[in-house]
Amino acid sequence: MNEKMVTTDVLVIGGGIAGCFAAIKAREKGLNVTLVDMGYAGYTGATRWSLSGFIVYNPEWGIDLQSCIDTISKVGEYINDREWTEIILKESWQVFQELLSWGADFRFEGPGRRPYVEEFLPIPVIRIGEMGVGPACRKHAEDIGVKIFDRIMITDLLKCDDRILGAAGFSLYSGDLYIFKAKATVLATGGFGYGTGSSAALAYKAGAEITCNGFNHTWPGAASYPGGWPAVAARTVFMRFVDGEWKRIDHPPNEELVDLSLVFLIHAGKGPIYWDLDSATSDDIERMKKRIENTYPRFETTFNPAQGGKIPMDGHAVYDSGGAWLINKKCATSLLGLFAAGWSGYASILFRGAYHHAPGDGLTPSAVTGYRAGLGAAEHAFQVDDVTVNNNILKEVKEKIYAPIKRRSGFDPRWTTQIIYNIMTPYFVSLVKHKDRLEAALTHIEFIRDNIVPKLYAKDPHELWLVHEIRSAILNAEISLRASLFRTESRGTHFREDYPRRVDPDWLAWVKLKDDGGRMRLWKEPIPQKWWPDFSIPYEERYPRRFPGE
Amino acid sequence: MQNSWINPALCIGCGTCVKHCPRDVIRLDENSKKAVVKYPEDCINCQFCQAYCPQKAIKIKPTPKPQIVSWK
Repeated sequence: MNEKMVTTDVLVIGGGIAGCFAAIKAREKGLNVTLVDMGYAGYTGATRWSLSGFIVYNPEWGIDLQSCIDTISKVGEYINDREWTEIILKESWQVFQELLSWGADFRFEGPGRRPYVEEFLPIPVIRIGEMGVGPACRKHAEDIGVKIFDRIMITDLLKCDDRILGAAGFSLYSGDLYIFKAKATVLATGGFGYGTGSSAALAYKAGAEITCNGFNHTWPGAASYPGGWPAVAARTVFMRFVDGEWKRIDHPPNEELVDLSLVFLIHAGKGPIYWDLDSATSDDIERMKKRIENTYPRFETTFNPAQGGKIPMDGHAVYDSGGAWLINKKCATSLLGLFAAGWSGYASILFRGAYHHAPGDGLTPSAVTGYRAGLGAAEHAFQVDDVTVNNNILKEVKEKIYAPIKRRSGFDPRWTTQIIYNIMTPYFVSLVKHKDRLEAALTHIEFIRDNIVPKLYAKDPHELWLVHEIRSAILNAEISLRASLFRTESRGTHFREDYPRRVDPDWLAWVKLKDDGGRMRLWKEPIPQKWWPDFSIPYEERYPRRFPGE
Repeated sequence: MQNSWINPALCIGCGTCVKHCPRDVIRLDENSKKAVVKYPEDCINCQFCQAYCPQKAIKIKPTPKPQIVSWK
C-alpha cells in the first residue's frame, strides 16, 4: 500500500451540505482547499437523503423574528442556543439564494419561481426536489477549484501540542494511506453516530470538548411497505394515525411529537399503530401524490395513497451522539485549528433545542454553520505558518489504521455492527430510558469496546472501512449512553422513566464531555439565565407536552 | 464478481450507480468497465442506484441478511 501526502491550507472532512459550504467559502477567500469524504461527496451522506425541506426565514414575508425565536425556544424546551437560532434564521435567506445559484433542486410553482412554502410552526419550509441539494453543492465546489477526494475514510485527526494539523485515513478502493496536512481543519462528518456519519468522534478522540444531551431523533415511517420511501414522503403531508383498536390518535402538528407519542402508546400496550389512509380526503390524496412526484419520481412503488387502508408503522430511532462544542460563532472548537459544522458541530440542536420542529431543521443549520466554519477556518489559515507533522505521530496512526487488516483472523465487523444496533436501537434504550437499562446497555458497549473492537478483522480496504466506522460508532454509543445517564430529568426527546419531569433551573443546561486520560468526563454547562423561561408561568404552561408518568 | 443485480448487456459503465451508493456496494470493474455488485451484503436497500441508472439496468435484490458469524 502506498502513502500519499497532501498539503493544503484548509481541509474539510465530510462532503454534505455543511462540508461543501465550508469548502466553498474557504476557497472563495483564495485558499487551497481539500475536501475528503468516505463516500462520494455530495451524494452519499445524510444531505442526499434530506428531501423534506429547507427552512428559510425572510422578513419580507411578514414573520416577526423575535416571536419566531420565542416559539422555537418554547417548543425546543429552552435548550436551543438563542444566539445561534437567530443567526441561522437571519442567514438562511442568503444560503438559500446561494444554493439556488448553484442549481440546487428546489421546487417552485407558478410564475416568478414561487417556492412551495409549507408552514410548520412559524417557519416556512421550501420543498426540495428529487436530487436534494448535495450534487449541486459538489458541482459548485469542483467548479471553483476545491480538490475533492472520494471514498477516503479519515480515521484520526493529527495533533501536536494541542493544535490540529490535519488528518489521516485510507482509500476504500486502493487501501492507500492518505495524510492531509492542513493549517485549518473543518469537521463536517454528519450525525447520528453510525450509518451516514461519525458525529464528533474524531474531535472527541483528539481531545476536544463535545456536547451530547440524549435528544434522539425518531422517524417512524412505513419503510417496510413495498416502495417504502414514497410512503414515508407521503406521510409527512398526511399524519393521521389509529391505534391497535383503530381508535384515532390525537397529536400536535409536529413530526417528532407524533413519533414520540406513538412510541409511548406502543409502550403502554396500545400498538400496533396504523397510518390511517382511510380517513384521507381527496384533497389529502392530491397533496400526497404531489409530494411523491416531487421527491421520488424515479422510484418504483406499489404505494398509492388513493387505495386507502391502514398501514402498520415501523419505527426507527437514531440516538443523539453529540457534536463538537463550538466556542464561538466562527465555529471554532476547543482545539486550535479545528472547526466544526453541521451535525458534527451540533448545529441542528443549537438551532432548535430538544425537539425536531419541522422538516428541514437539519439542512439550514448545517448550511449556515458550514458557511461560518469555512470563513473561520480561512481566517485561521491566513494567520498560521505551514504545518509539519512529526514522523512518530504518523507511524502510530499508520499502525492503528492497518492493524485490523494485518491480523490473520478476528471478529467480523458486520456482526459487531449488528450487535451495537441491537444494543442501542430498542425503544426501551433509545427512547424510553431508565437508569437500569442505560447502565445495562453501557456495560455491553464497554465490553465490546474493550474486548471486540481491538480484535476486529478486515480482509480488504472496504472491510477496513467497516472496522473504522465501528471505532466511531462504539465511541458515539458510549457518549450517548453516558450523556443520557447524566441528564437526570426528562426534556424534549430525552425521556427518562425514572425522572419523568423537566427540572428547572438545574437542567437548563447542556451536558459536555471530554476525554480525561482515557476516562469520559461529563459536566454541566448552564444555559444563560437571560434565556430561561419565565418561572412565574406554571410548569404545565411552560411545557405544554406531558411525559408518561409525570 | 458474478451478480444478478446489474444487467451487463445494458450497463454502459457510466458510474452513476457507484456515485450514488452510500455503502460502497457497487464498483466499476476495471477489466469489463461495467458496474458490479461487489458487497451485496452491505446493501441498505436505499434504491438510489436503481432509480438513477440511465439504462434501467439495475434491479436490486437485497436478500435477508445471511447468517453472520462472530469470528471468522
